[in-house]
Amino acid sequence: MSGNLVVMGVALLVWGLLFLFLVRLERRMKELEKR
Amino acid sequence: MIWRVLLLVWIAAAIVAGFAWAPLVPVLQETTRVFYFHFPSALVTVIALAWSMLHSVLYLARRDLRHDDHAAVAAELGLLFCIGAAVSGSMWAKAMWGAYWNWDPRETSIFFLLLIYGAYLALRTSVEGVERRARLSAIYSVAAFVTVPFLIFVVPRIYDSLHPDPLFNQRGKADIDPRIMLVAFAMVVGFTGLFAWLLSLRLRLARVERRRLEARTTGSDL
Repeated sequence: MSGNLVVMGVALLVWGLLFLFLVRLERRMKELEKR
Repeated sequence: MIWRVLLLVWIAAAIVAGFAWAPLVPVLQETTRVFYFHFPSALVTVIALAWSMLHSVLYLARRDLRHDDHAAVAAELGLLFCIGAAVSGSMWAKAMWGAYWNWDPRETSIFFLLLIYGAYLALRTSVEGVERRARLSAIYSVAAFVTVPFLIFVVPRIYDSLHPDPLFNQRGKADIDPRIMLVAFAMVVGFTGLFAWLLSLRLRLARVERRRLEARTTGSDL
């Protein structure tokens, strides 16, 4: 069960990091569009 | 921003449900969870490639370059999700069948899809002239999509496969626990939302690139 929790944690972490990366990309895109 | 936060929560909830709520398929054991990433990736590949084909048809009908941008970006993302499906599938194959690649009909089909749409992107980079590139790519994209339903849905049903039977059997009934189905389809919705987000970001970048190119061309004309 603890192995499952680790894999679930890693999956959630990867998704969270991908989300933050996309939010940052969105902000940079807004700056690019303003220029 | 609100729908992005909803997407974050939705996919996170589906991941937790896949691990903590949905049961395991006895024959698959722990590897059942790969299904929640593999199946949505494959389905979103089809959605992305269909979107690309639709906008290719619209480009040929209206000659509007915005449709060409849609077609190109959707094909890029389709290829990305297809790679996701191939990688998750090969890891699953290693666990279940002992080898990463077995030339199973579905694996062979996905290999051909990667080749076909890789060639589409190669075509886009090799043709000079915006209008000519858009026209040739649109024709190729429409022709390429003809193979998608054949490779994804027909070939694996004709030949014997290591893969299990399709989710829905001949009588149209699902041979799988409803909780597993629910999590899988929640992930399909989540992945489709992710595809829409990536599509909008990449389209905006394509617009900025086009505007800059036009500004540079106009600047050099003066």
